[in-house]
Amino acid sequence: TLRLICTTTAIQRKNAGASGSEKYTEAFIKKQIEEFNLGKRHLANMMGEDPETFTQEDIDRAIAYLFPSGLFDEQARPMMKHPNEVFPEQRKIQWGEDGRPFHFLFYTGKQSYYSLMHETYEKMLNVQKHQDQLIAQDIPLQKEKRNLAGSRWLTKIELEEMLVEKVSDDDYSRFIQLLQKLVALPCADIEEKYIQKFSKEVPVQLQKVVIEPLQYDERGVAFSTGEGKRKTASATAVVYDNGTGKITVNGIDILHYFPVLQDREQLLFPFQFLGRIGKHDAVCTVSGGGRSAQAGAIRLATAKALRSFVTEKEVEFMRQAGLLTVDPRVKERKKPGQEGPRRKFTWKKR
Amino acid sequence: MAAPSAAGLGWRLRAWLPRIMPVRWSRYNPSYLEPEVKKESYQKPLEELTEEEREQMELKAVRPIKAAPPTLSSSVFSDPMISKFTNMMMKSGNKVLARSLMSQTLENIKRKQLEKYHKAPENEKETIECNPYVIFHQALKNCQPIIGLSNITKGGKTYQVPVPLTDNRKRFLAMKWLITECRDNKHRRTMMPEKLSQELLLAFNNEGPVIKRKHVLHKMAEANRAYAHFRWW
Repeated sequence: TLRLICTTTAIQRKNAGASGSEKYTEAFIKKQIEEFNLGKRHLANMMGEDPETFTQEDIDRAIAYLFPSGLFDEQARPMMKHPNEVFPEQRKIQWGEDGRPFHFLFYTGKQSYYSLMHETYEKMLNVQKHQDQLIAQDIPLQKEKRNLAGSRWLTKIELEEMLVEKVSDDDYSRFIQLLQKLVALPCADIEEKYIQKFSKEVPVQLQKVVIEPLQYDERGVAFSTGEGKRKTASATAVVYDNGTGKITVNGIDILHYFPVLQDREQLLFPFQFLGRIGKHDAVCTVSGGGRSAQAGAIRLATAKALRSFVTEKEVEFMRQAGLLTVDPRVKERKKPGQEGPRRKFTWKKR
Repeated sequence: MAAPSAAGLGWRLRAWLPRIMPVRWSRYNPSYLEPEVKKESYQKPLEELTEEEREQMELKAVRPIKAAPPTLSSSVFSDPMISKFTNMMMKSGNKVLARSLMSQTLENIKRKQLEKYHKAPENEKETIECNPYVIFHQALKNCQPIIGLSNITKGGKTYQVPVPLTDNRKRFLAMKWLITECRDNKHRRTMMPEKLSQELLLAFNNEGPVIKRKHVLHKMAEANRAYAHFRWW
């Protein structure tokens, strides 16, 4: 008898939704979990490793070793995952034996969404009542501004996961508007706990990138490297300390390599922004792209190399000036039925 | 127009593709903010900022920022208005030519003003403006119309209704009029920089054909005042 290690229907959630009649009973899921754990131990024994400390990454490696597959799509290859990830979260049957539904909003069709809106509005009424009480007792209202920049609301997908039911775009925007109204009221601190369920912290951008330390070459001069790309051009730059401000590209001085003023301005932009024009030397190599793309690639490479020479605050200033982001704009593809990416064929009446 | 699908294209095009492809789209996610290039705005100490600027700063610390375009730079010589004007003058992507025409125009303005300066008597020397950038900005400001006309169809007939204009639209119209004026109404052999410098100096003194066109537009708007209530925005 063939034993299914896992099913792939749940990875593409659309398919599972289409065959919605397949409701997984709780007993079925429990059995799948037991089988998964047993299979995990067997796999650990097969690989000669300790069954107690066998993590998901070890499972993935073991499966890739035992069942090598040349398929391109990662999701088509054999995989073994915990049943909670494989089978999507489904609601248990919402009505009892007599056919009467448990939830009072069942017949609206979106019971969890409407009950959520109901709860949020109840909290709002609470806050307003509290506000009225404070006004009646002549206590001044505290106007503390919540720090909006550090947190964001849940995305639509996260809300769908929380409610285990589909939420449409309009419904989602209405819910977010209601939450914003609730937060804007003066005494919203009372419901802080409830609001925190729906907000997530956004980390400060700067902490995501690691700045490399300076390297020293034979003469004792500090240098650092950076790489940059723009359109099709890729460039590498090595920025040396204690220099005279000479910049060399592919062995040629920038005055000869870039006859156009705009490109040279772009090359000097990072140095001029930090105020270090005569202090650094740069040796760059670039290939691909056109004249302006090469200049943009070198600009990005030099900016990335300069990060190691400079304090964290100045790195943040460089990022806010747009020097450290890779420009994602590329040539748009030509579409069938049109002459170019946007231009249509000449319209002829007959 | 067939919207490009994410499936057949490579990793490069996956920078940002929304669920439904709008007609006017950009490769950046909507949460990306515009870059601030001027050095002075980063050297202000914390105390001098207003509430709004503080909030803006906090927002910038959290959101990603777009890359600075190649025309923008922190040097003293890069001016956003001048680059906008150069782009509008450009034909078939020949930015080198447009940029050289622009610099020749500014040089011409400087030469003409210096000639006037040296010929003028002592007491008038201070009133003559020699900085070509100041002349350019003032001339553009003088050419900007305050009110515009828009075609509104009501009951089968199209009326010219006076309508307030946004700042961007005003700047665009001023630049467009200057360029069309220089391209069309000149002697066959005059070069563009010469003609442009002439027009800019006239506009700086509130004379010339571009200012006349602005006044004509204002008069038309005044004449069509009766239809102003057709506007619903």
